[in-house]
Amino acid sequence: MRLSNQSLQQYRRLWWFASRGLAAAALVLLITAILTAPSGLQNLFNGLAVGSVYAIFALGYTLIFSILRIINFTHGAIFTLGAYFTYFLTGASVGFNGLLANQRLPFGLPFPIAMIGGGLLAGLCGILIERVAFRPLRNKGADPLLTLVSSLGVAVAIVNVIQLLVGAEIYSYPRNPFGEMPAALNLGTFGGLSQRPVVIRTIQVIIFAVSMATVVLLTYFVNGTKIGKALRAVAEDATTSSLLGINTNFLISLTFFISGLIGGIAGTLVGLSVNVSGPYFGINFGLKGLAVIVLGGLGDIPGAVVGGLVIGVAEAFVPSEHVAYKEAIAFAVLFLVLLLRPQGLLGRAAVQKV
Amino acid sequence: MSDEVVLEVRNLTCRFGGLYAVDNVSFQVRRGEIFGLIGPNGAGKTTVFNLITGMTPPMHGEVFYKGVNITSKRPHEIAMLGIARTFQNIRLFGALTALENVMIARHIHTRSGMIEGVFGLPPAPQEERAIRQRAMELLELVGLADSAEMQARNFSYGDQRRLEIARALALEPELLLLDEPAAGMNQNEKSALSAFIRRVREQFNLTIVLIEHYVPLVMGLCDRIAVLNFGQLIALGAPEKVQNDPAVIEAYLGD
Repeated sequence: MRLSNQSLQQYRRLWWFASRGLAAAALVLLITAILTAPSGLQNLFNGLAVGSVYAIFALGYTLIFSILRIINFTHGAIFTLGAYFTYFLTGASVGFNGLLANQRLPFGLPFPIAMIGGGLLAGLCGILIERVAFRPLRNKGADPLLTLVSSLGVAVAIVNVIQLLVGAEIYSYPRNPFGEMPAALNLGTFGGLSQRPVVIRTIQVIIFAVSMATVVLLTYFVNGTKIGKALRAVAEDATTSSLLGINTNFLISLTFFISGLIGGIAGTLVGLSVNVSGPYFGINFGLKGLAVIVLGGLGDIPGAVVGGLVIGVAEAFVPSEHVAYKEAIAFAVLFLVLLLRPQGLLGRAAVQKV
Repeated sequence: MSDEVVLEVRNLTCRFGGLYAVDNVSFQVRRGEIFGLIGPNGAGKTTVFNLITGMTPPMHGEVFYKGVNITSKRPHEIAMLGIARTFQNIRLFGALTALENVMIARHIHTRSGMIEGVFGLPPAPQEERAIRQRAMELLELVGLADSAEMQARNFSYGDQRRLEIARALALEPELLLLDEPAAGMNQNEKSALSAFIRRVREQFNLTIVLIEHYVPLVMGLCDRIAVLNFGQLIALGAPEKVQNDPAVIEAYLGD
């Protein structure tokens, strides 16, 4: 028994070194390719920018998945709601369609405050959705798969309510929402490495910074705080947690609030980058977000960010004449990674229960 | 043992489909008592625990804890009132260490509010140290201090049972419900268990209700015993009285 354990450990160590070595070699190859390609750096930055949008979206999925082991399909709708809330909190007017056509709030908040307000309102919507679509099923001990369907239903309902109230037109935020800032940074040509100047949009830098900050804060929250520890206990066994005096329903509501808050702010930032394209604005990220968290490792917070960036960068390197294959490439990356690491990039291997 | 009633269940009834899992059961547990709940498989013993701890709502009947009706309270509220339990099929947080398992149960006794807890502001670190220290003491008590940093799922069966008891004690309960504490233990562990449960009762001023199949343990340890069969209470009293009760003999040996 002990002997086989030992040889298993040796095998594991060998595999650890071999896999790290392979990964490092692949990374070096990849970086060389990126730096020597004609517009490699520009593609890389574009990819990181798009990828950080995927990442910040997927963080909302991941947080709820890590507690409830279900995908919350309403996250895309909450993302959309956050963007709309911010728009109206700035005092801007509804468009020409929908029941609320041409209405506006009697006040207008400065953009950064409106964005936080939009996030908070989106978080409250998260709590409400949990009450309506998740808790009743959980209390009845329903299969998690049923909860998935009910969350899909709520997502569709929200999209339709948005369309009913404010129409399906494109909404854009005011220019220079964070004060006078250049629209883009020109990083120059980097000597011989890239022939064309490398340019990054300011908003892309902001989104990247926000998603990085979010992942750091969330990781700290889940691993370093008392409530985080209680959350991990709820994730493992909600019933037992409640018998230890942990208010599971409160913690689940809190999780939905945080997820909604992050989603709402993310929606606003992405809206700044590409405009709020209508009620389906956030839903369109749903499938990609799913790919991201599967790639990164289900329920793993840093994994969501790594997964987002990898898919974003992979897409950015698809040549513009083959842009129709962008999605195919992203999912091919996902497929390849899952063949090698079924638990995702950062996920831990599932431990068989005896 | 005093005459104060710590736990009282009155006409407790719980039905799953057409089956009466618990049928009109009433009994009282007095302060300081070790009260045994025995009966053949499927007699409804664990269901009684589930009803007391709020995990399963009863169809009829009430549960009183120190004179307060707790029938409609939620599990975490009941836990905070001072009722802790262990499980027949052990339910530890397998991915967490032994120490973390016990510390989680200590957390409900910390004073620092949610905001400080979230941001890890002082005095949380100070409290965290106190929690850690108390958790270590409890692990020491059950003899698991040396493996405090080991993941709970890697413990042997008997050790997992002891860890579960340490975790339940971390709640500082007045009433401890033990669901088959001897199950899966070897003979040595079983004989040590009796003394351990007595010692824990003295040290923590506990009242204990325990479900057990291992008859020598129950007879030697319990002050009073209630016998369930098909959800109904068929006998209640001192061990020797229950042992010779014709209805009990019938339930265990009859056809």
